[in-house]
Amino acid sequence: MQLHTVDYLILVLYFAFVIGIGWLLKRRVATSSDFLTSSRSVPLWITSLAFLAANLGAQEMVGMCASGAKYGIMTSHFYWVGAIPAMIFVGIFMMPFYYGSRARSVPEYLKLRFDEKTRAFNAITFATMTVFSSGISMYALGLLFQLMLGWSFTASVLLSALIVLVYTLLGGLTSAIYNEVLQFFLIVLGFAPLAILSVLKAGGWEGMAGRIPAVMTHSWSYMKAPADNPMGVEVFGLVAGLGFVLSFGYWCTDFLVVQRAMAADSMAAARLTPVIATFPKMLLPFIVIVPGIAALALHDMNIGYALPAKNGGLDYDQALTTLMAQFYPTGMLGVGLTALMASFMSGMAGNVTAFNTVWTYDIYQSYFHPQANDRHYLLVARLTTVFGIALSIGTAYLARLYNNIMDLLQLVFGFVNAPLFATFLLGMFWRRATGHGAFSGLLAGTGAAALTHGLTTAEGKGGWLISVHTFTSTMAQNFWIAIFAWSTCFLLTILVSLATKRKADSDLRNLVFGLTDLPPEEHGGIRLRPATVAIAAGAVCLALNFLFW
Amino acid sequence: MWDLRTPSGMFFALLGLILVMTGLLHPTARAPLLDFNVNIYAGAAMFLFGGCLLWLSKRRS
Repeated sequence: MQLHTVDYLILVLYFAFVIGIGWLLKRRVATSSDFLTSSRSVPLWITSLAFLAANLGAQEMVGMCASGAKYGIMTSHFYWVGAIPAMIFVGIFMMPFYYGSRARSVPEYLKLRFDEKTRAFNAITFATMTVFSSGISMYALGLLFQLMLGWSFTASVLLSALIVLVYTLLGGLTSAIYNEVLQFFLIVLGFAPLAILSVLKAGGWEGMAGRIPAVMTHSWSYMKAPADNPMGVEVFGLVAGLGFVLSFGYWCTDFLVVQRAMAADSMAAARLTPVIATFPKMLLPFIVIVPGIAALALHDMNIGYALPAKNGGLDYDQALTTLMAQFYPTGMLGVGLTALMASFMSGMAGNVTAFNTVWTYDIYQSYFHPQANDRHYLLVARLTTVFGIALSIGTAYLARLYNNIMDLLQLVFGFVNAPLFATFLLGMFWRRATGHGAFSGLLAGTGAAALTHGLTTAEGKGGWLISVHTFTSTMAQNFWIAIFAWSTCFLLTILVSLATKRKADSDLRNLVFGLTDLPPEEHGGIRLRPATVAIAAGAVCLALNFLFW
Repeated sequence: MWDLRTPSGMFFALLGLILVMTGLLHPTARAPLLDFNVNIYAGAAMFLFGGCLLWLSKRRS
């Protein structure tokens, strides 16, 4: 793939604008709260799009297109079964407690609701995970640009990290959020033409459906048994594992996304943020998954497009970039690559800003230097931006050198995340849940996840204790690990809570359902009612599931 | 507080302009699997999108 002057010009224009936005927002940062939480002042439409974009990293773009080519439209389950119900739930049912508690972060909510040790567990694991995941995506970007354009790994990693560092350092969370909106527009406008062009070339949806196996164009029809579909999953594992445990665990408890809603300028806006974000989210499969399906159809048409081969099969990971090479001339190629860079940056800035807040407030202020003045914390927050990005760069190189260690770490992070939603669900809706219950539930849930992995195998993975069951795919294994982890955490939290002393109702005000004054639906000048918007979103999502049944 | 639609609108209007100019100056530049000038169409769409954002921000102010 060869870039020309105009492609570089587009990339430079994009860099200039993201830094410019950071520069314009510089004046708004006077306190640590401005830098780390945007002082709860960001308008609704901006928080909604940022809520989406922070999750829309380059790995998601490349990975979802690859999954489209590998699994077909079933990949949309990650959106229409996974993300949408969870986003509606966090907005309608959980945001009143996150926002109403005045907590500055998700770990801080755990401190207020439960106790110090539960916060510490969540803060430390979350901070470690964000640094690693930002480093891993940086590694993926460096590798991608090296493969596609022959750019040096170091140059790609350092350049992209430097741009994110500059605009985040200038305007803090607000700058990251504002830029995420620009990046979201660019991702959509940069990749939508690719989806349209590739599908048209493949003969439209009907033309594609006629060329590839029927299982690739139906999302539910082949779900009766794991062997019937390329994902190797069945309905219960999918709905309970992905649709409930994993998706709710991510969208409802991960501070990276929840932070965007917590920056909104009113309670109503905070609740509406994830709910409004569901509309663009449910349309994203048409931009990120459908081109992958088109790639597979084009591959079978023998018209000059072929997915590269890998290990005797096809290299699905290259679906997106090979399509760009075939459908984008110089000019649009620059836009496509800039969109890829933008998706990477939005994901990375999301990680960096969430890490900043958790490190500064939940770790540094809580355990190292509790009584300092605000100027001190602002300085620490700024230094943390530099420190966090430097750590991410280090992690990117670590991933390059020791790929197996990274796989292992991601597996362990998965174990830690799996039970989280049970803790939050009980914490927010059962006032009897205690700190000891939550902490022991989290530890036991993490242990149950590891144990399930040790006792089962899938595609040669897991079974390091003894294999008592074999799954059709690692995806099915992951869903079931999540189900066992969640159930263990849920049950143990209840048992231990019943045996330990609960907090007084007065200490749980605005933290638990039944002890929180829910705000009136119309608030902050917004006429939209969160519940009405949620019902509309649910109906559209249901219709999409039926449309591709 | 300034409106984010202003810089975003300027960015997409400029990007659209660059693409349209590229399409006009290099009318024969084609991607391997395409037989039409995608830069002009995509550029025009981006220019329009940028224009809409600028119009919305101007209307607000």
